[in-house]
Amino acid sequence: MFEVRFHGRGGQGAVMAAQTLAEAAVIEGNYAVAFPFFGAERRGAPVLAFTRIDPEKIYSKTQVYAPDCVVVLDDSLLDTIDVVAGLKPEGTVVINSKDKPEDIDLGKEIRTGAINATSVALEILKAPITNTTILGAFAKVTGVVKIESLEEAIKRRFGEKLGKIVGERNALAARTAYEKTAIGRSKGIKKLEPKKQWLPAYQELPVGGALVEGKTEAGLIGPGSFIENKVMGWATFRPVRDREKCTMCLLCWFYCPEGTIVRISDRGDLMTNYDYCKGCGICANECPVDAIKMVRARV
Amino acid sequence: MKRVITGDHAVAMGAKLCRVEVVPAYPITPQTLIIEHIADFVNDGEMDAKFLTMESEHSVMSAAAAASAAGARVFTATSSQGLAFMHEMLYATAPLRLPVVMANASRTLGGPPGIWCEYNDSMGARDSGWLQVYVEDNQEALDMIIQSYRIAEDKRVLLPVMPCLDGFVLTHTVEPVEIPQQEDVDSFLPPYSPDITLDPARPAMIGTFMPAEYIMELRRQTALAMESAKKVIGEINDEFARRFGRNYGGLIDMYRMEDAEVALITMGTVTSTSREVVDDLRKAGKKVGIIKLRFFRPFPSEDLHKVLSGVSAVGVFDRSISYHGGGPVFNEVRSALYGNSLPIINHLAGIGGRDVTKEQIMKMFDVTIKAAKGEKMNLINWHNTRGESV
Repeated sequence: MFEVRFHGRGGQGAVMAAQTLAEAAVIEGNYAVAFPFFGAERRGAPVLAFTRIDPEKIYSKTQVYAPDCVVVLDDSLLDTIDVVAGLKPEGTVVINSKDKPEDIDLGKEIRTGAINATSVALEILKAPITNTTILGAFAKVTGVVKIESLEEAIKRRFGEKLGKIVGERNALAARTAYEKTAIGRSKGIKKLEPKKQWLPAYQELPVGGALVEGKTEAGLIGPGSFIENKVMGWATFRPVRDREKCTMCLLCWFYCPEGTIVRISDRGDLMTNYDYCKGCGICANECPVDAIKMVRARV
Repeated sequence: MKRVITGDHAVAMGAKLCRVEVVPAYPITPQTLIIEHIADFVNDGEMDAKFLTMESEHSVMSAAAAASAAGARVFTATSSQGLAFMHEMLYATAPLRLPVVMANASRTLGGPPGIWCEYNDSMGARDSGWLQVYVEDNQEALDMIIQSYRIAEDKRVLLPVMPCLDGFVLTHTVEPVEIPQQEDVDSFLPPYSPDITLDPARPAMIGTFMPAEYIMELRRQTALAMESAKKVIGEINDEFARRFGRNYGGLIDMYRMEDAEVALITMGTVTSTSREVVDDLRKAGKKVGIIKLRFFRPFPSEDLHKVLSGVSAVGVFDRSISYHGGGPVFNEVRSALYGNSLPIINHLAGIGGRDVTKEQIMKMFDVTIKAAKGEKMNLINWHNTRGESV
């Protein structure tokens, strides 16, 4: 059995990647399953997806805890998540990064394939959706599925959903990554402290789960606790406003799903709080005078 | 003061005496009179409550939960299809520990539609976390509204309570009811004072998204509260008996069970009729008695185990079918008595509102007595049903 864990952010297509890998494995005559794990998901939030591949029918319906391969669609996740947790010592990491494997610190020296999937995706797909690109790297590094099977699976799944041309473009993104992926060994220096979580026993859980403003060892709970949840690391792009063009119509302020655009009333101005901006681009899209441009927040 | 009133009127009087603050309502036969009486009380200034006419029962329970979370004492009433329609919100009210009290006028849940008494409406809410108590007369209907608030708002419980009264058999039947004095109810039932409410001055989160890391603990907490309710129900029954002179027994009540060899477990108004049947059978030398199952949730497993230890057979009356063979009460009783070898016989009757006569109850005892003597009897018996019947 070959087990894969995908780490991505909502909107990057980790779930589609896991499903497409399963389909490629099935094309080669294997049995495969793929499934997501959703928390309180939204665009940009960390997500997990899993794929299992075996010649025989797979009965296990639990999550993957000791993967043979970890696929990371976004290297900003390395700051907060121990992506190699449980990875088998002889396992492999496939990561979207502008760096060479030798320069990537995973906290564990491990066989690693690196590809700047965001750049490949932006170039070929015109969007930072890295799921098909990273699958090309996966085929190169693991050899678990052939690139031809992946191309076929991508054309089927993406073509069915988004049309023949999109399917072919995504297959091309995978093929491009397949050819460009660098293989080496990662650094194993940093130690990532696991994030503390408030996990009360049933006797400690407030009655009915009702919460007032509170503080625990793991941080704030209850109303207002979300202030600790900064999301600037999620953004591939960030909005930049041209003050000259802006007419102060406030449509951006109205549409921002995170409430990050703040009105400075005494100056008749607006300010974006980048701590909580996940770079969704809705403000730029809604601006009637094109005063907001989305610029790369990271390469 | 004694008044000759319907069960619905008695329930409405109970809500008024409890100084209920919010009543979201939607009418449905045979509950309608409850809502109409409360509307009158509010209109006439006899009751200082916010009366909200909602667009559906789902909205009724949503409003009830929200008002309760805001700290109000909330009452409503429903029946059958109405209870089914608010089913989703029942599951929100209980685990959030909102002590709403809602009377259910027991009515068959269709299709085919009908308006008469059956318990298949409330039995479907078995696992929602609501307490359920079934009453046998109009006095008990009124008294249980008062007791229900004490039970629901007890800090060891904090769960919603559903007093169930038989549709038409009680809801539309007049009989004498002693109306307690307001000051006596006030001293028995203090105002509701929750620790956390939806109050802008002290922000709180109630019923927000909860991932898998927390829900098992929440369920365990709710299960524990339901278990604690068993003790609380007994205490409050005893206090009520001391103050008002009417003792309902708590989780269960018993009639002529002291030396009984055969028992029948009954619910609701069938209990009442069965009392006369037991008297007749006793006169004929039969050592029989009744166990009145008052609370279906929490289910009095320990009490039943204890009181049935001396009997040689027990019959279980069910006013609905669970499609696993017998009725839901039968299934619960068998589970409660696991390990006890006495014969347990199911008696299905009164479904769809068919009248449960003394003859039928007599037959229930006959069959159970035969089982006690070692005769091989059917486990599940359909009474007064055309085709192969008992």
